Amino acid sequence: MSNGPLKNKVFVSLLGAVTFMFFFSFMLVPLYNVFCEVTGLNGKIYGPSDFFKKNNETYERQVNIRFLSTVNGSAPVTFYPSETNLEVMTDKVSRTSYIATNNTNKKLTLSIVPSVSPGLAAENVKKIQCFCFSEQTLEPYETQEWPVRFYVDSELSENVNNVYLSYTLFEKEREEMLAVNHEH
Amino acid sequence: MSAVVENHDHHDDHHGPKKGLMRWLKTTNHKDIGTLYLWFAFAAFLLGGAFAMGIRAELFEPGLQLMDPIRYNQLVTMHGLIMIFGGVMPAFVGLANWLIPLQIGAPDMAMPRMNNLSFWLLPVAFGILLSTAFMEGGLPGFGWTFYAPLSTNYPNVAYFVFAIHIMGASSIMGSINVIVTIMNMRAPGMTLMKMPLFVWSWLITAYLLIAVMPVLAGAVTMLLMDAYFGTSFFDAAGGGDPVLFQHVFWFFGHPEVYIMILPAFGITSHIISTFSRKPLFGHSSMVYAMVSIAVLSFVVWAHHMFTVGMPLVAELFFMWATMLIAIPTGVKVFNWCATIFKGSITYETPMLFAIAFVVLFTIGGFSGLMLAITPADFQYHDTYFVVAHFHYVLVPGSVFSIMAAVYYWLPKWTGNMYDEKMGRLHFWLSFIGVNITFFPQHFVGLAGMPRRYADYALQFAEWNAVSSVGAFLFGLSQLLFLYIVVKTVFAGKKATPQVWDGADGLEWTVDSPAPYHTFDVPPKVK
Repeated sequence: MSNGPLKNKVFVSLLGAVTFMFFFSFMLVPLYNVFCEVTGLNGKIYGPSDFFKKNNETYERQVNIRFLSTVNGSAPVTFYPSETNLEVMTDKVSRTSYIATNNTNKKLTLSIVPSVSPGLAAENVKKIQCFCFSEQTLEPYETQEWPVRFYVDSELSENVNNVYLSYTLFEKEREEMLAVNHEH
Repeated sequence: MSAVVENHDHHDDHHGPKKGLMRWLKTTNHKDIGTLYLWFAFAAFLLGGAFAMGIRAELFEPGLQLMDPIRYNQLVTMHGLIMIFGGVMPAFVGLANWLIPLQIGAPDMAMPRMNNLSFWLLPVAFGILLSTAFMEGGLPGFGWTFYAPLSTNYPNVAYFVFAIHIMGASSIMGSINVIVTIMNMRAPGMTLMKMPLFVWSWLITAYLLIAVMPVLAGAVTMLLMDAYFGTSFFDAAGGGDPVLFQHVFWFFGHPEVYIMILPAFGITSHIISTFSRKPLFGHSSMVYAMVSIAVLSFVVWAHHMFTVGMPLVAELFFMWATMLIAIPTGVKVFNWCATIFKGSITYETPMLFAIAFVVLFTIGGFSGLMLAITPADFQYHDTYFVVAHFHYVLVPGSVFSIMAAVYYWLPKWTGNMYDEKMGRLHFWLSFIGVNITFFPQHFVGLAGMPRRYADYALQFAEWNAVSSVGAFLFGLSQLLFLYIVVKTVFAGKKATPQVWDGADGLEWTVDSPAPYHTFDVPPKVK
């Protein structure tokens, strides 16, 4: 066959392209997260916030915060906000709570994922204390009240007067099952 | 020394294929492998078609008659997977194997053994996928798009993942083979711009495959890890994001839909030029149009997911980028029309399929433009309007072009002419069937009938019954296609090397049927 070395060169570079694209698909994961974090899209909230880092020259105003809860799939938990609605002043810390009840006779490990709507307001909702920062456990038939302490900073867009803070509760069932499988 | 080598070559040239089953298992001949691919695709087409008949039978009237919704979802999923990965893609690879070496004057594909491997991986992959039918949990039923976290919580997902991995490996090897062949083995004098358009379309398709099949492999790998190894790429409970899955999937998925149409553009260009007895209008603009379509395919993926809650600026970007694709596609359609214009046209079966391709593919393109309008898409999303759109570009688009190609090159492959009357009958039955099947789906879609349900509201009943009747007509007429092809393989009027009097290209300079070994001495291209 003619062009042996050239053929090899094309072959090897194509193989390189395939390898690169495979790893690129995994790079999409951090790229996506960085993109969402930088632009504040998709309502994701990243960890606890530093309290009052900025200057106080921005004016204060009133914002309506609505609290939502969702139980994912068929998790045997009752989960709801203690108040559905709160009028808060920007830059003032407010406190509310969510109530969760375990409806089974087993101990449950739960993780709760927050989301803010509209998505662009996510970076303005700062949480100081939240049950979503770590996993929660509920003993059989136990009810717990989970506090949230947060403030809405005054850089919130003037167009936004209503902010929805939503929590989705997930049962960490699969990990437990895997752990059980490993033990045996 | 050289004389000895030549003698040896001479000896090699004249031994024909092995006899029996081992010929097909061990073959490294591009024509044999092309034939294998084409028959595999035909079998998949009939199997996927049988699934489609099941779907349409269930949807013939409202209510659940024949199956429960889980079985229905399995049929929908397998119909999609088999038609895409088992039907359309292998059919195009089969055509590539047969035609690329013949059209560029090469003796074979560059890596014949890898070629053999990439074909035989396909039955393995589909064997794994279909084996789940006999397991507890059954066939995958999460749709061919396997959105997480539905798919991660599904039984037997590992079999699906491995099947996709193997299909992907097969496609990647096939594409590497195509590119290396085209880059290194063209006959002297055949510059890139002189290459026939089918070869060009496959060169671009192969690059697309190399770019996105690894991304599909990555997506299914993440899926597998989420399902079995406790990671949370797409699982919100562990900090992952289900929307990320859609981004990764459609980053593969949109170039994939062009992988399934670009070779059709190449085929149509050849056939329209031959039966208009004119050179193709705007050869180089056709090449540039295909390259632009391929490049644009990487920046439009999110138009499949307008409703996930993207910011306005992203929706505008993806809307405009998507609409931009209409420009190079329009160039191609106008070039085909200009080629037909004032030609000496005859309407043999391949030409009928090619003209139907241009008209019906354009209808599918127009409904695509409607879907690209973001605000309108919120109404159309996940309705039968989308189903009608992508079946218009895939069935009378890709599938018609494959049928056109089979009729067009079948005399070259078998040495026999097919039965023209039967061919035309097959065309008209298919043409009428496909339109009766899919045109009413536009109406029910606009009226709000959602996709992927085994049942529907009563007001959609009439059009669904019509659609099902069309589907049965289309499905049955493909048995006629099978009969015509089989008959042509064994008998028929002998074909001349030229076959069609308007045909132009290196493949028409060799005998019909094409000898087992061709172009051992490269032809000169002026």
